[in-house]
Amino acid sequence: MIFGTRLRHSRGLDGLPVGSVATHSNHISRWFIDLRRGIFGCRWAFDLAPKRFVAPVHEINLPVRFHTENDSMHYPWWYVPQLTAPMLIAAISVIHVLISHYAVGGGLFLAVETTHAYRIGNRDYLAYLKRHARFFVLFTIVMGAITGVGIWWTIGLASPLATQVLIRTFVFGWAIEYVFFLLEIVSAFVFYYYWDRLPQKVHLAAVWIYGLSAWASLVIIAAITAFMLDPGTWPVNHCFWAALLNRQSLPQIIARTGGALLLGSLYVYLHAAITVRDQKLHGLIESRATRPALAGAVMIAAGGALWFLNLPASAQAALLAAPVLNVFMGLLFAVTGIVCFLLILGPCLNPGWTSGPGFAVSLLFFGIIGFSTSEFIREAVRKPYILYNVVLGNQIFPDEVARFREKGYLQSGIWTRAFVAKHHPDAIVNGRIDTKRLLVLPREKRVELGGVIFQHHCNDCHAIRLGYAPVGPLVQGWSPQMIRSLVNDLEHTRFTMPPWSGNGDEAELLTDYLTSIALDRPAGMLPERIRK
Amino acid sequence: MDPRTLIDTNFSIGLPAPIWFIELFKALGFTLHEVPMNLWYAGILLAMLLHVFGSEHGRRFSARLMAQMPIIIALGVNFGIVPLLFIQVGFAPLFYPATILMSWFWIAVIGLMIPAYYGVYLYAFGLVEGPSMAVWKRTAGWISALFFLAMGFLFANALSLMENVGGWMELWAGHSVHGAALGTALNVADPRLWPRWLLMFGLALTTTGAWLALDSSWFARCESLEYRVWAKRFAWRVYTVGVAWFLLAGSWYVFGTWSEELKQEMFGRSWIALTGLTIMAPLGPWFLLLAASRQEGEISQTRAAFIGLAQFAVLGLNAVSRQLVQHLTVRPYYDLTLQPTAVQWSPLVVFLITFVLGLAVIGWLIRELVRLPAEGKSETA
Repeated sequence: MIFGTRLRHSRGLDGLPVGSVATHSNHISRWFIDLRRGIFGCRWAFDLAPKRFVAPVHEINLPVRFHTENDSMHYPWWYVPQLTAPMLIAAISVIHVLISHYAVGGGLFLAVETTHAYRIGNRDYLAYLKRHARFFVLFTIVMGAITGVGIWWTIGLASPLATQVLIRTFVFGWAIEYVFFLLEIVSAFVFYYYWDRLPQKVHLAAVWIYGLSAWASLVIIAAITAFMLDPGTWPVNHCFWAALLNRQSLPQIIARTGGALLLGSLYVYLHAAITVRDQKLHGLIESRATRPALAGAVMIAAGGALWFLNLPASAQAALLAAPVLNVFMGLLFAVTGIVCFLLILGPCLNPGWTSGPGFAVSLLFFGIIGFSTSEFIREAVRKPYILYNVVLGNQIFPDEVARFREKGYLQSGIWTRAFVAKHHPDAIVNGRIDTKRLLVLPREKRVELGGVIFQHHCNDCHAIRLGYAPVGPLVQGWSPQMIRSLVNDLEHTRFTMPPWSGNGDEAELLTDYLTSIALDRPAGMLPERIRK
Repeated sequence: MDPRTLIDTNFSIGLPAPIWFIELFKALGFTLHEVPMNLWYAGILLAMLLHVFGSEHGRRFSARLMAQMPIIIALGVNFGIVPLLFIQVGFAPLFYPATILMSWFWIAVIGLMIPAYYGVYLYAFGLVEGPSMAVWKRTAGWISALFFLAMGFLFANALSLMENVGGWMELWAGHSVHGAALGTALNVADPRLWPRWLLMFGLALTTTGAWLALDSSWFARCESLEYRVWAKRFAWRVYTVGVAWFLLAGSWYVFGTWSEELKQEMFGRSWIALTGLTIMAPLGPWFLLLAASRQEGEISQTRAAFIGLAQFAVLGLNAVSRQLVQHLTVRPYYDLTLQPTAVQWSPLVVFLITFVLGLAVIGWLIRELVRLPAEGKSETA
């Protein structure tokens, strides 16, 4: 607890004492933080860690340095026209989330219900559960596993630096999760393929092993994704446990567990609506599936509230300020309300309604909309970071910005430097890029170099003229002076933007490029039309 | 331009595990992954060919293998996560640029995997229809076989490009816009690519042969004795083709594409034993199969188990040698052994405990399956 005392006197990244960072946090969150400090404490990890990570938090000057003096922007950037590379992560993630939550909720449903069916000796219900298990295995083991691997693929391609940080931080988190994943696969196959062959006790053990392993996977992954929104004290101590048990972990675990239970039930409704004709059996399935659905809805609300209360200030502000997030939050509340309303109206008050595929499809449809929306919001509120306060959206560490401004953005990037060396070797003086020489190049060359800066600095979040948040329309009708002002003061123009990370000459190059892609002010608008 | 300047070696967050631990789990994970991966890589194609051109027993083996394939793929995907994780832990500065340069092809692995996986399921479900299996289900099997071969090609591309740092600049220059990678590059100009791809196919054939022997002895008790005898002989034939293929492609790879420095290292005093063992190891299971095929009757379970273990050793040696070659090839650009470490001991211990407990649970489940009566007397009905 000595170390815990130190932590209480330490300062978080936002300058507040760590223990009171969440001045708005509730009792449960504080309990979770205390658990982290008291039980796990990180003391053990600290004692065994190399010296440079042993220093008490209050002795470390913020911001923490992630890189050495010779650092440079790290990886090549992948240009995905219109969509932008990170949106591929979103696309695959949403698909995966819709399957993986079912893999958890459906697995727990199968565990509870198979136990129940054995207990009451209902053969029809057991037969249905076997049919559902077949669908479940086919859907979650194939699509769930492959889309999960697909997320690995895309994050490494679209956000390599953030992925590298996450992997170095959480390799053992993922390794532990991997063990649970292996258990899931083996137990799911044993449960389904040996349905009529295993003794009841072993059969039930298999499905419970599956359900609990799947939930354990959820807990670990939710904590890691929570880290992306709130790394807690990790930036100053690099402690695995501090990273894993961050303030966002518990809210997200609660919300995701609730989401899994709810989504599992919605899949069951649809599956039963399509495959079960016996009204009595359908009634049983419906009533049994409604319990976890309602419990899940309550957990989503509780977890969501805790999530909001524990959000970093910038994320809360983004939720309130960004129009698209306003719309999505409204949509999320609306569809969550619709799902709850339909649950009460249908299965609770009018049993049998879900026997029609139409009602079941509607429920699942709104559930999917809600899930997809919440994932989008969860990703979007982190801006301008990929990992909050750790990796900026443009693939650099926050502590690199000042040096990049001093040394030049093109010089600081491995691949930007390579581009200049290849195309403009005359601009290299004593092994370094002289950006003054780039400014005197013909306009098309300056625009091209501005395009290089745009790709590496901006394309993470912005398409060019068409697609996802394109810059061309965003600066439509702007003068070069206005664009230059925006470039030089990015993070103050919008706090969700990363700071400009180049020197003045490079700001000119980027201005040239943005001017070249800016759309003209639409014709025919008053009062210009009158003036003309 | 010096290719070394294209690699970020200044990442100051230390490696979270001891280097030996990263190496061990990368090699162990890859070895485990290789077993099922080899079976889908060469096995599905062989099963498709046998279904069309095979004898009665050949078609039986084809059906058996394809019925097992969904589980084999599930385990293979799962085991593949381990080397994928540890390659990113240890070799991120090489792995990420290489895969980014060929992003669309790399991400295509996911796009190919899903239909290939479902294709295998469709085929497996169609097996109950027997010889009258619907054409579209047979087609799904063929598509799966081809997709898995294509995935193997893409993997060979990514992993050879990871080592071909000297070729990055040219690929990047030819496949980029404004300095950003288009993700359309392939490492086809690298002479190491083709023999690597083919070498893995030869190895996959040997694993398929070994599996055939193991399956016929341990899991095919319900099949006729004639089938099991046929399986023993056919396993040797498949293995023989695999060994020949492996040695030919391996010779091309080693003597046709390795640098002189690499040859000196691998055939030098330090590593000659490992190199020799890796080359000669497939002859172990081959001799066991040869001896079995010369004897009357089916292959014994003990001998089949030895063949299985010997094949696992073949794959293990291959994984270790691959890892060593990888190290030596990229050492001028990136040396894993020089990377700083910040070992996370407590998470490591928790992982090991979880790992052991997880294996214990899996062991218990398998024991329960082994104890089941052969005819599957139901106690649950």
